[in-house]
Amino acid sequence: MLGTHQIRTLIGAADPIDPAAPPPRLSAVDLIARAEATEPAAPIRRAPRRLVLVAGAAAVVAAGAVTVLHPFTASTGHGPGVLGPPGGGLVLVPIAYQIDQDPPAAGEHLRAMAAHLADAPSDKHTGRYAYHHVKTWGDPLMSDDGGRYVLGFAGEEERWQLADGSGRSRVTTLPPEFPDVQSRDHWLRQIPSWPSAVPHEQALPPYESSPPLPTDRAGLAALLSVRYGGGAVAKQVTTVYQEHVVPTRTRALILDILADVPGFRWRGQVTDRAGRPGVAITYEDPAHGQQSLLVFDARTGVLLAHEIVTVKPRRVSTYLLLLATDRTDN
Amino acid sequence: MNERGEDWFTTIYHTHYGQIVNYGRRRRLDGDGAAELAQEVFIVAWRRRTDVPAHSLPWLYGVARRLLANSRRAAPLPVPVPDLGHLVDPPSLDAGADVGLVEVRAALGGLSEPDQEILRLVGWEELTVSEAAVVLGCTRATAAVRLHRARRRLVAALARTRS
Repeated sequence: MLGTHQIRTLIGAADPIDPAAPPPRLSAVDLIARAEATEPAAPIRRAPRRLVLVAGAAAVVAAGAVTVLHPFTASTGHGPGVLGPPGGGLVLVPIAYQIDQDPPAAGEHLRAMAAHLADAPSDKHTGRYAYHHVKTWGDPLMSDDGGRYVLGFAGEEERWQLADGSGRSRVTTLPPEFPDVQSRDHWLRQIPSWPSAVPHEQALPPYESSPPLPTDRAGLAALLSVRYGGGAVAKQVTTVYQEHVVPTRTRALILDILADVPGFRWRGQVTDRAGRPGVAITYEDPAHGQQSLLVFDARTGVLLAHEIVTVKPRRVSTYLLLLATDRTDN
Repeated sequence: MNERGEDWFTTIYHTHYGQIVNYGRRRRLDGDGAAELAQEVFIVAWRRRTDVPAHSLPWLYGVARRLLANSRRAAPLPVPVPDLGHLVDPPSLDAGADVGLVEVRAALGGLSEPDQEILRLVGWEELTVSEAAVVLGCTRATAAVRLHRARRRLVAALARTRS
């Protein structure tokens, strides 16, 4: 087993920064004055996008792929994307929307859904374990030194947890997927074959369990970070679905809360990366040049997927698929 | 002399400013964002100067961690792409084992955020387990358990990349 020193040796080599930091911009005296003069600090400014975006011809290729590729290649088991040569990696393509241009506000559609939700399979089960099966990609992404060629490893996690947070999980790291053809070709030249996926099982200790979901609208809205806007809400909705088996009433409440968040647009019917039909809403975040996407099961209101897409050029930045949620005794 | 006056603050500010900036940079803030994070950390340190322990660095990292978490809850980072590297200089995993930089980063990046954080605190910020516990707001025993599990999962992830 690695000791602390060996951890430093190993991780230290992967430190992504040059440790030489610039000097402070303010003197200690100035900072004291600022501390004395201001109320508690304003939020930290967000880092600008660091992905080196595809330019010129490459962007044309990426944009072309969006329009000509089949939205879902069921035979491959992958969602929107195109496979490279034999053994090659998947290049991700943004999900196609039924309503691509001038989408209407989502509020009315979400309220209509919320009013007529059906039970999900998990609503009929009462097992002591909460079971979640999730697939993710894109957090983190990695790039070459120049930041041009990007890859991300997909991963799947199955998790069985008791109310105190204890339980077990099975994590499988999957082969890399790529946001564009150039990145795939670059990395396949560098590393022609990738290790096979091997599930890793682990016990989960009884700490850091999630508190119960609020049952009132105000409490749930606060948990969903409504005051921080649609991008934060989309992420929080996803977190809630990752950590809880959400009952019908709460699913309806979530949709109703989303309906009141300014900026969500209705995208109509879509097919997610697991090949499931759903309905989608998006939230534009021009400050960061990105769009958040949520896909719901139209009948049950269960969240199926969350994605973040860069706008120019249009590429997938992260995706998360909630493949299964249930209660079980096993 | 006031023990928690301007001189004391100036000393910790100049001693630890760079380390707090690097904490932010390692967690995907750019230079400006990391500098602003560091300023906010030291503003908090001044306002709460009577609470700052004599060995202040872990406490300062803890403030940075919470400010960053609050900020990310408010607005998730766009496209988290660290400045990553090349396929050279494999570090030693253990006797006789060579692991490429990309493999290390891939393995680390594939871990959960809590696993990554405690490994970064020990591996990059070079904290002891006790110091990491201060940052994470938990007991030393809890931090030790988390580190043990995190490094076990890191080793497993690296083994998978090499198999």
